[in-house]
Amino acid sequence: MTPARRNILSGLLWTSPFLIGFAVFLLAPLCMSLYVSFTNYSLLEPPVSVGLDNYEAMAHDPLFWKSVRNTAIYAAACAMFGMTVSVLVAVLLEQRLRGSALVRALVFLPTLIPVVSASIGWMWLYNAQHGLFNAVLGLAGIRGPDWLGDARTAMLSLVLMSAWMVGSYVVICTAALRGVPAALYEAADLDGMGPLARFRNITLPMISPALAFNAVMSIIWGLQVFAVPLIMTRGGPDNATTVLSMYIYSAAFSYGRMGYASALGWFQLLATMVLAAAAWLVLKRFVHERGA
Amino acid sequence: MPGLFSFLMPRCPDAPMPSTKMPPVATARTITRRAALAGMAAAGAVGALWPYTPRFRRSVPRGRIELTYWEKWTGREGLALQQVIDDFNASQSRSFVHLVPIGDIDAKAMVAIGGGDPPDLVGLYSYNVPGYAEARAVLPLDTFPAADRLAADAYLPGVRNLLWHEGRQWAGVNTCYTLALYYNKSLFRAADLDPQSPPRTISALDEAAQRLTTFDSQRRITQAGFLQNLPWWWPYLWPFLFGGSLYDESSAAATIDSPAGIASFEWLRASAARYGVAATRAYAAGYGRSMHSANDPFISAASAMIVQGPWLGNFIASLAPTLDYGVAPLPVADNLVDDSAPIGLLECDVLMIPRGCPHPQEAFDFLLYHQSQPVQERLAAAHFKPSPLARVSKNFMSTHPHPGIAAHEAIARSPRARVLPRTRTWKQYSDLTMSAFDAVWAGADPAVTLHDVARRAQALIDNAAAIRARRPA
Repeated sequence: MTPARRNILSGLLWTSPFLIGFAVFLLAPLCMSLYVSFTNYSLLEPPVSVGLDNYEAMAHDPLFWKSVRNTAIYAAACAMFGMTVSVLVAVLLEQRLRGSALVRALVFLPTLIPVVSASIGWMWLYNAQHGLFNAVLGLAGIRGPDWLGDARTAMLSLVLMSAWMVGSYVVICTAALRGVPAALYEAADLDGMGPLARFRNITLPMISPALAFNAVMSIIWGLQVFAVPLIMTRGGPDNATTVLSMYIYSAAFSYGRMGYASALGWFQLLATMVLAAAAWLVLKRFVHERGA
Repeated sequence: MPGLFSFLMPRCPDAPMPSTKMPPVATARTITRRAALAGMAAAGAVGALWPYTPRFRRSVPRGRIELTYWEKWTGREGLALQQVIDDFNASQSRSFVHLVPIGDIDAKAMVAIGGGDPPDLVGLYSYNVPGYAEARAVLPLDTFPAADRLAADAYLPGVRNLLWHEGRQWAGVNTCYTLALYYNKSLFRAADLDPQSPPRTISALDEAAQRLTTFDSQRRITQAGFLQNLPWWWPYLWPFLFGGSLYDESSAAATIDSPAGIASFEWLRASAARYGVAATRAYAAGYGRSMHSANDPFISAASAMIVQGPWLGNFIASLAPTLDYGVAPLPVADNLVDDSAPIGLLECDVLMIPRGCPHPQEAFDFLLYHQSQPVQERLAAAHFKPSPLARVSKNFMSTHPHPGIAAHEAIARSPRARVLPRTRTWKQYSDLTMSAFDAVWAGADPAVTLHDVARRAQALIDNAAAIRARRPA
């Protein structure tokens, strides 16, 4: 056995747990789901080929479009809101203020809390009658909305909650901020730049790769959201917070429509890939490459 | 053989060879921090992984055929079933039933049967019967040698309808329930209402509810008289109370948008408007996750009247045994009152033998035992439920632990007991009604909303029929 062949063999053997797992648990189900998406299949009976019927049914399914719309709104709002909050918090925490280490830990803490616990806690915060938010609004003489019970505010409530879970994005922004060469700020000081100009002309360009990464990741996570709306609103009221992942789950495991669920799943996969790629292409134009 | 697996190690010419010298032996007697942490981690791992015997686990005697039985019940309901199973296991020496409590049992049963690895017995819901029967995912009970011991007339007519599909019996009953009106007698007295005369009509219900509902200075509800969204579990119930229906089996038509159905949803919208959409939603949301706990809206007297199943009596007995309450058939539209034939929803849990199960004959033997009158009555009493059988023993009612069982029994035996649509698309249909409930509660037009629900439900029903027609018989 030649050394090169031995190296290939050993490489394959060491990576075989992943390769086998990938083939069995990802690639094969992926191919299977593509096939199933062209059938009517309830798991209990053999699949019946229906051609493109499932994809055609999606076009005429109002709940599908509603879930797509809800998912898009959630993902876009989470990305924009989360990005803004995470940058502002990271910049604030880098100001060497007293207690910033504690605040940094507190900002990251929500990331460590199980999503079920966090969701139930937020349900109580949003409770229209006994919730903290409406109690505070009440002190100011404002009658708070029925946050989760009103179709007009339910999605907004979920987005606001997502902004609370930006700890990991803040960490990435903080790391990027610390990588900005101090010499640039010193030069800016010599040129008489104000804080806002420094932020716009130095900080933002220098941390733009991290921002782009955060944006793409938050879009991907936002498009796949499942647990938070399931726990907090169960998709209601009137499907105002039904997102695509929830609809796929219902179609598959509540209604036994595996074929339709697979078609929905493929739509979600392709939409996520296209949107993530589009976001990356757009953001790339604004990303400042070091040394470029 | 040091070289046997040497090809597994990529050769790295610059890497030093591992030393063959033994590391120095530690002589310190104190425990290092690392050792202490490792010890604690090891102890934790052992504790977490230590094999234990679940509450429902029984050791299988030698020589017995082990039957696996998946059931959704846990807690007191699960223990009552376990006692039945223990008795069966002691009554014969051929098989041994092993009860496995399963959450989200619909989905898991579907996957297990589809995957060819089902349990011997599975406890599902009556609305699963049409889908499982049409898919032949469960075995028809008339194919077993002793099937004649399952007499159709042994069951209540409504229950029989739920167990049979297209002329064949597919399931045994596993307790049944009806929905009734629970009312708090103490709150009735406080509001100058007669606690012996619960509302019998919708208009009487509205009147009592208004007298029992209280608000604070900010128009927030502090005590509900009756709210249809508390709980919101049966958004499809209301058309029945106005003489409507959900499905016409003869024509396979969704009928929720009949005039009676629309009238029922107009009543819902009027109720929401009367007490305030936001106020009612906020009040109900406060109890969304506390049903059947000490903070249950009825048990905690936060709602004077509520629609619930007989299991509520079980929870009251354990959580608030001094609660002074009554149970009555559901109020109906004024022109539909007939005390001898109350209108209500009848549903049941079912026991089925999955296709491809390892021991179908032994499973059927257990099912036969389970369907006997003593077992069903025992299980029904332990669950605080009515009997699903046509005949009951003399002592069943007098010894039943539920003080309001008579109301549930009356509905179960009523010719006007309603059952859910027996179509495999019911789950989707029911989700459409839930969305419609939300929309109408918020003020949407009931007629428009229900016409849309009926149209979409009909499309699902028709599509399912078309697909079925394409399958080989």
